[in-house]
Amino acid sequence: MDKAGGREEVAEQKSLVAWLLQALNRPAAAAAAIAAFALWAHFGSGVGTFRSQVSPAPGWQKFRASYGLDDFGADGYFVRAAQDGYNLFYYTNEYAWRFTRKTAADADHACAACHTVEDLAYGFVNSDRFDPGLGKRVSFEERVMRCYAGRMDGFVPTLYDPAVRDIRVLARAVAHHLQLSEGARRRRS
Amino acid sequence: MKPLPARLLKLVLVVAALGALYLLAVRGHAERDALRQAAVELTPDCRAKLSDYALRAGERYRSPYLLKTTGRTRDLHGYDDEDVRAIQRGCNIFDDLQGYLAKGGPRERWYANRFVRGTQTTCTHCHRGVGDRQDAAGNRLVGTNSMGASWVMADMYDRFTGLLLSHEWRQMQCYINSSNGFKPNIADDVIRDVTAYSRFLAAALDLKIGNRYPEQGIDEISASATLRRGDDYVRGAFVYRQKCATCHGPQALGTVGQDRVLYPALAGPNAFSLDSRMNFAKVHSVMPGFICRNMPPGKESSLDNQECRDIAFYLSTLPRPAGDMQGPLAAAWQQLMMIVMPPLTRYAESLPGNGDPHDTAEAR
Repeated sequence: MDKAGGREEVAEQKSLVAWLLQALNRPAAAAAAIAAFALWAHFGSGVGTFRSQVSPAPGWQKFRASYGLDDFGADGYFVRAAQDGYNLFYYTNEYAWRFTRKTAADADHACAACHTVEDLAYGFVNSDRFDPGLGKRVSFEERVMRCYAGRMDGFVPTLYDPAVRDIRVLARAVAHHLQLSEGARRRRS
Repeated sequence: MKPLPARLLKLVLVVAALGALYLLAVRGHAERDALRQAAVELTPDCRAKLSDYALRAGERYRSPYLLKTTGRTRDLHGYDDEDVRAIQRGCNIFDDLQGYLAKGGPRERWYANRFVRGTQTTCTHCHRGVGDRQDAAGNRLVGTNSMGASWVMADMYDRFTGLLLSHEWRQMQCYINSSNGFKPNIADDVIRDVTAYSRFLAAALDLKIGNRYPEQGIDEISASATLRRGDDYVRGAFVYRQKCATCHGPQALGTVGQDRVLYPALAGPNAFSLDSRMNFAKVHSVMPGFICRNMPPGKESSLDNQECRDIAFYLSTLPRPAGDMQGPLAAAWQQLMMIVMPPLTRYAESLPGNGDPHDTAEAR
């Protein structure tokens, strides 16, 4: 008798859901659900993938002032890419976690552990050169990919990945600030 | 269930096919490696350009241009033999993409012609002076599509694609639209060598990363830079016949002779596509700017802004290949027009009274 009662209750609930969906008009309900998800993803989720703005990492404002990023505008695609490059460079384990096994517990968990951002700029203007060690011409992007796979103990992003592109954009922005030309050599102090 | 020998035979065939593909790839790689190591025979313009800029292997590079224009010199990072060859090949591709001037034909240009549909395209047609045009005094000229200046300003936002456009991606766009062709892989030697050449030009000219130089891109001419008499393709057709047809041909199909392209096609199957920024119907200011700053050769800047806009407008009315964005119907229509229009136009222009409106008995 109890089992039969339970079945009736479930059937009643199912019919209630069906009625509710019918009453709501299913296409409209689906559209509303998608819109709600998009709004939540963009404004409420806090997940970086869903936002067009880059998460402000510590030190960014000082960096942008020191390296004259405002030359490229207060905001914009280039500046945002440079900001993402900054995050990748100084907080690699957080912002490029897909491409490194390093964690905050490791001593060298960011590009900045080995390079300065000025090294990066000089590296950029001297890239696309023959590397006797590798026996071939090596682009800046390939160097970044090799860093991810080697020193960062991780995986190789594709050439098109922002994890590579934005580091190049950062290097370009810094090279502009330093007014470097192609092949510029670093003066030894 | 199939008998064992049949299954075994199938397996052997699959393995053999895969093995053959592998061997083919290994052979292709070996051929490319051999070509990378081979000495490069430069085109005459590249020989002059690279010799002027003293390109050679060495630990340091000093730009003669910098010395000549500023009286000072700077030690830059030098080039390895392999870098030098890449720069030389890049210049050759730039000057002679189709390989007309190469003894070994298109092979010496990495078969760059497989990425273009026409038989005339080469980069220097638009990027004047092998990507670095100067006057006799060595002044770099405004709006000449300089490749060195383009390299230092790469990675900026591009409103047409909605991307931060790298130098390599911009080259791909040139192949697709300006050359009415196909996109090479970003890591292809065709792209990498031209990038190497652009970067060398930037070094030789001492251009700073991220700085704007007037020779970069085209000095665009908008309608507001005219007397606002309205763009008129009929007026454009008249000026074209007067000033351009001698070189580019009466129907802008280009002039080929002495085994090379003397003047490139501006319409028809060998020309840029409807998606190219050179197409006035797509971007109103680029082609007029190019014409005013670069044409006619030797008499640059002799046309006024309105004439340049009129000529560009007229050219955009001529049939040319559709781009990727137009779809199959538009492509078929353009193909039909490219076949039908030239003989029809020739016939129409041969009729009395349909030629030059000023060529009347009274005028004669």
